[in-house]
Amino acid sequence: MAEEIEYQSIDLKNLLGRPLNDIEKKYAPPIIYYKGKITPPLPCARVSIIGTRQPTKEGLLAAEEVSKILIENNVTIVSGLAKGIDSVGHKTAIKNGGKTIAVLGTPLNKTYPKENAELQEEIMKNHLVVSQYKVGYKTTRKDFALRNRTMALISDASVIVEAGDGSGTLYQGWETIRLGRPLFICKQVVHNSKLKWPKEMIEYGAIELDDPLDILEVIPSNVKMPELFQK
Amino acid sequence: MNISEVKFGSLLTYAPRGSSEKAKGAKTAMINLKNDNVLNSGVLTSEYIVQAMKKEINTFPFADYFNSKTILVPTPKSSLRKSGTLWVPQHITDAMINNGLGKSSEECLERAIAVTRSSGQRDGSKRPKAFQHYESMKVKELLFEPEEIILVDDVVTRGSTIMGGVNKLAEAFPNAKIRAFAIMRVVKVEHFVDVEDPCIGTITMYGENTSRDP
Repeated sequence: MAEEIEYQSIDLKNLLGRPLNDIEKKYAPPIIYYKGKITPPLPCARVSIIGTRQPTKEGLLAAEEVSKILIENNVTIVSGLAKGIDSVGHKTAIKNGGKTIAVLGTPLNKTYPKENAELQEEIMKNHLVVSQYKVGYKTTRKDFALRNRTMALISDASVIVEAGDGSGTLYQGWETIRLGRPLFICKQVVHNSKLKWPKEMIEYGAIELDDPLDILEVIPSNVKMPELFQK
Repeated sequence: MNISEVKFGSLLTYAPRGSSEKAKGAKTAMINLKNDNVLNSGVLTSEYIVQAMKKEINTFPFADYFNSKTILVPTPKSSLRKSGTLWVPQHITDAMINNGLGKSSEECLERAIAVTRSSGQRDGSKRPKAFQHYESMKVKELLFEPEEIILVDDVVTRGSTIMGGVNKLAEAFPNAKIRAFAIMRVVKVEHFVDVEDPCIGTITMYGENTSRDP
């Protein structure tokens, strides 16, 4: 009971600070549970840094470089608290004085993987941890794929740093494309001839990331859209 | 490709590198349109812009584009598209028809082969050319012969997609008058005045490249 009180809940409209269109509503969870210093509506802009749990050295460096540039430009890093690329995204944000949001595949009172318990604690204390799963919910594998869709929904753009064919990261990639949001794939992955998915996602609208600064051109700022032809 | 000049209309502008408040507001409008976000009023961005356009349509230089003979054709995305994926030009043409701008919306132009892009394509020479767009699109048959067609896009940069699409439509409908319309056009920072900047202009082929004026 104490745990229930510790966490707050909100619908997606209030979390994002705007209503959802029909395409966004399709897989939007009805309720999000959250805990952290960042209060809804979520800060603008937000970019997901995602990828494999077993990254190469190049992948880790790319995740750090992209995250750092985004943080320097006041972008909040969203990720899934997994080992590997996700952890680098969160940690780079924390280390560089930025903001980060962890989107869990478990309820907020659980940690997966266990080794990221301290990181989750730090994000809950000074940033934001969210989950679509209520305390007490029994987690299954598919919940992480559904979580990836939610992560796409709350991000203005997503960057796949490194991932193998069949990786859970690809759920987020396809959902980002379905939502019409920018999906970037790091260059070294696009040109990896052993992988099938980058070529396919690029055919469906993903963008090869040449320069992390290019992400800034397609994500929103805090400046509102003006009213049109009101004079 | 037999057509080398296309007349187009456009309502709004944005400058990708603009740093003024006005330019940032225009960029927000572009992103709202590209995602077709629901505004706090509860209306889709596409619907909001078309409603604003409808109110003032008679004052705009492209007023005659939207008449009772006009068939609106949404421009295909540069990529392939799965069913259920956001397609903003289609939302725009539907909103236009709902607001009495044009006769009907026909999804008769589609992308058969993806024209890929990378984030570093600011260099015009690396962008897909009009003939690549032309060769990657196909036209679906209509059960009638359209008299006037407007190819509608959300944002126009150099106009190579429009040039490719208009040429493809012209082959299938040789007797139709074909023009284009884009809600927003990309301008250089030094040319940006305001997000509201209705115009008509021309997209022209020179060699394999395309230029837009204004």
